[in-house]
Amino acid sequence: MFEWLFNGKKLRENGVLGMNDRNYSVIAKYNKRSLYTLVDDKVKTKRLANSININTPKMIGIIEFQYQVKNLLDIVKGYDTFVIKPAHGSGGKGVLVIKKYDAKHFYSASGDVLSFKDVYQHVSNTLSGLFSLGGKYDVALIEEAVNFSDVFKNFSYHGVPDVRVIVYKGFPAMVMMRLATKESGGRANLHQGAVGVGLDVSTGLPLNAVMHNKPIFEHPDTKANLMDLRVPFWREHLIIGSLAYDMTGLGYLGADIVLDENRGPMMLEVNARPGLAIQIANGKGLKTRLQEIDEKYPLGLSAEERVDFVLNQGK
Amino acid sequence: MKLNLTRFFTIRKVLSLLLICAVGYAAYSIYYKVKYWGFSLSPKAVTDVWTVDAKISFRALGGDVKVSLAVPNDRDGFKILSEEIVAKGYKITQDKINSRVVLEGKDKEGKQNLYYRLSIYDDAQNVALNSLLAAKIDRPILSEEETIQMRKIWELSELQKGDKIQKAILAINQEVNNPTMSLILPLNHTAKEFAEKVIQVLAYKRIPARIARTIKLEEGRKTEKPDIMLEAYYDGHWTLYDLNTAKIGLPKNWVIIQRGGVSLLDVKGGEDSTVVFSVLKSVASPLKMAEHRAKAHDELWSYNYSMYTLPVFEQNTLKWLMIFPLAILVVVIMRNVIGVSTMGTFTPMLLAMALVRTGFWPGLICFSVMIALGLVMRALVAKLNLLLVPRISFVVIFVILLIQVLTVVGYRLNYTIVSSAIFFPIIITAWIIERASITWEEEGAVNTLKEILFTFITAVVTYFVISNEYVRHVMFAFNELNLVILFVVMLLGTYTGYRVTELMRFAPLIHKEN
Ligand SMILES: Nc1ncnc2c1ncn2[C@@H]1O[C@H](COP(=O)(O)OP(=O)(O)O)[C@@H](O)[C@H]1O
Ligand SMILES: [Mg+2]
Repeated sequence: MFEWLFNGKKLRENGVLGMNDRNYSVIAKYNKRSLYTLVDDKVKTKRLANSININTPKMIGIIEFQYQVKNLLDIVKGYDTFVIKPAHGSGGKGVLVIKKYDAKHFYSASGDVLSFKDVYQHVSNTLSGLFSLGGKYDVALIEEAVNFSDVFKNFSYHGVPDVRVIVYKGFPAMVMMRLATKESGGRANLHQGAVGVGLDVSTGLPLNAVMHNKPIFEHPDTKANLMDLRVPFWREHLIIGSLAYDMTGLGYLGADIVLDENRGPMMLEVNARPGLAIQIANGKGLKTRLQEIDEKYPLGLSAEERVDFVLNQGK
Repeated sequence: MKLNLTRFFTIRKVLSLLLICAVGYAAYSIYYKVKYWGFSLSPKAVTDVWTVDAKISFRALGGDVKVSLAVPNDRDGFKILSEEIVAKGYKITQDKINSRVVLEGKDKEGKQNLYYRLSIYDDAQNVALNSLLAAKIDRPILSEEETIQMRKIWELSELQKGDKIQKAILAINQEVNNPTMSLILPLNHTAKEFAEKVIQVLAYKRIPARIARTIKLEEGRKTEKPDIMLEAYYDGHWTLYDLNTAKIGLPKNWVIIQRGGVSLLDVKGGEDSTVVFSVLKSVASPLKMAEHRAKAHDELWSYNYSMYTLPVFEQNTLKWLMIFPLAILVVVIMRNVIGVSTMGTFTPMLLAMALVRTGFWPGLICFSVMIALGLVMRALVAKLNLLLVPRISFVVIFVILLIQVLTVVGYRLNYTIVSSAIFFPIIITAWIIERASITWEEEGAVNTLKEILFTFITAVVTYFVISNEYVRHVMFAFNELNLVILFVVMLLGTYTGYRVTELMRFAPLIHKEN
């Protein structure tokens, strides 16, 4: 029952990165604290991303002060759908995706019908910091909704699948795809019960899939075979991740990428301290990968060259 | 080859070195405090303080009175805590050389009662005896009869065990009870007469000896006659002997009041004088005795700059504070080594602190009820969609009112479980409620309960560490241990090993490769 207590040695042999090791040997070393603001603020991240041609959902506007809340309708004029999210949010808190709206009602992606008042209230709450880290005053970012490609339709229950690329020193190191389930409430968070599918960095092919830390082979709700998962525009996904490094200077980051039907892969956000569950999804230790990059990967390449270098490793 | 200094001075090595220094310093400090201040590792340790009261009574004859009483001196093993003389209208002089107190009064008449009170502690069992001066005597001039007697006794002594003096004491003891030998001493002799006989016998062999008056320290003891023992100078040092058993040395908890043949009490200008000794025992905590001990060791300076000389209020506050670092260490270990995630970093610690005040079960039950009520209330309020600051404020005020109601009701119904509500930190309680209710909305009941449970577990572990009487005592009495904790915590900041929970979390990664 307690054999797991003796797992340490084997985990080390398998190059599994622990939380302490990640914090001490990776994040503290390669992620300068002053860079965090670049990724903690989604408005800043978006502006930065746009400046070096990383594809992101287009920003419609921002609401900074309570008195601007009533201008919401003017701001979104001309857009059929839009998303309101807190600039400093995390974990999907306060993200409101509006599918359509008319003179009286807003219809959210999760199927709720909201009155104008409700939406104003939501924006107000956002400004007051309800959804933000540390409860600080925040701004509401209004952006275009992603027009999700339906190539993953069979692999996700309601919610939107995204690709998480861990980028180390600019090289895509490990990738997984997160698929929403009934249990996760349509969200793509692993600890809420979403499915994680580890994808081979150089080929994009599924390696392994887990739900609640346990291996699975088919999606619990759609019953789709997870090993059949194929991600189009693989190279483009990796390039976005690699560019995120150029853009932020963070030596260790996680880029969340979604696939838009028309505009291709788009970066939703960058995380300066991405979690370690990706190892379980991949069935591989991350530390081995980081060491490999430390020791064997060349310096001074451009983002595309780095991605191509990684892609070539698979051949 | 280039010497790589940065390699040599890694943070971890520097911290380890500092930790070793801190451990060394703490070890020395503990040694020092135990040795010079008498601190103890156990909170239950007590120091026996003996109070010896000598009540001198006599009838003054109307003229000048001079009373001289033999008193113990501080070279004789015990340390003197205080000395007190109650003698109204008498001039008091202390004769340190002869270890006597001299009281002089003018024109005294009638019954006089004078008191001498001595408090002593730390029986070091006759350590000082050896340092007394050497002595020498000539063989006394004896009659022929006496000489025969002496020879006989010394002859008989050969049959006894022990050193020369022990043999002599035992031989005399035996002969005294032999009716045919009653020549030596009358059958019902006093202890003093017996001692004098032994001195005489020893003198025959030119061994200097003298009487020592001692009192056994025994709670409630009252006596007019101190016990008589014998000190003999033999083999280059003075040794104390029991006159009945011939055992060497002062037994534990005996004190020498006077040595040499001189009288215990001299009263000039008075008659019918008596002195009654009574013994009382009390205990003091080593912390209380520390100042005296430091003084006795000439280490008062360091003591004066310690926190134990502060007023009680400050001391108690510090005592409370001194336990924090340990609680912090527990939290750090729980989080970074065990890998338990809790609500807020130091919430469990503050909870544990509150539990110390309320008692374990009452506190735990009361707190759980508060959280549960808070969560229900918070769930109702969630529907109102209040803004953040007012909403948190609502929770805080709700908690305050809840504490008030629980405390009053608990007090009225005499239910400590309920009234212990007052000890919980309001903001922390409110914060746990707020945080739990948000987690509940976002991640569901299971995750919330898990988080609350882990917070509780950490708090309980912390509680058991810091509520331990020994731990608290040690952290206060030997507060330099906090320096050790400081560096341990810093070193833990460089710990990159797996957390215990990760061993389980990452278990699926083990079966993969093979
Ligand atoms: N522009 C958008 N269009 C559609 N869905 C979005 C959009 N932005 C965010 N989302 C949804 O909200 C989730 C969380 O958004 P994200 O930007 O990652 O914020 P957070 O930092 O809170 O995770 C995404 O995983 C996605 O499902
Ligand atoms: Mg996200």
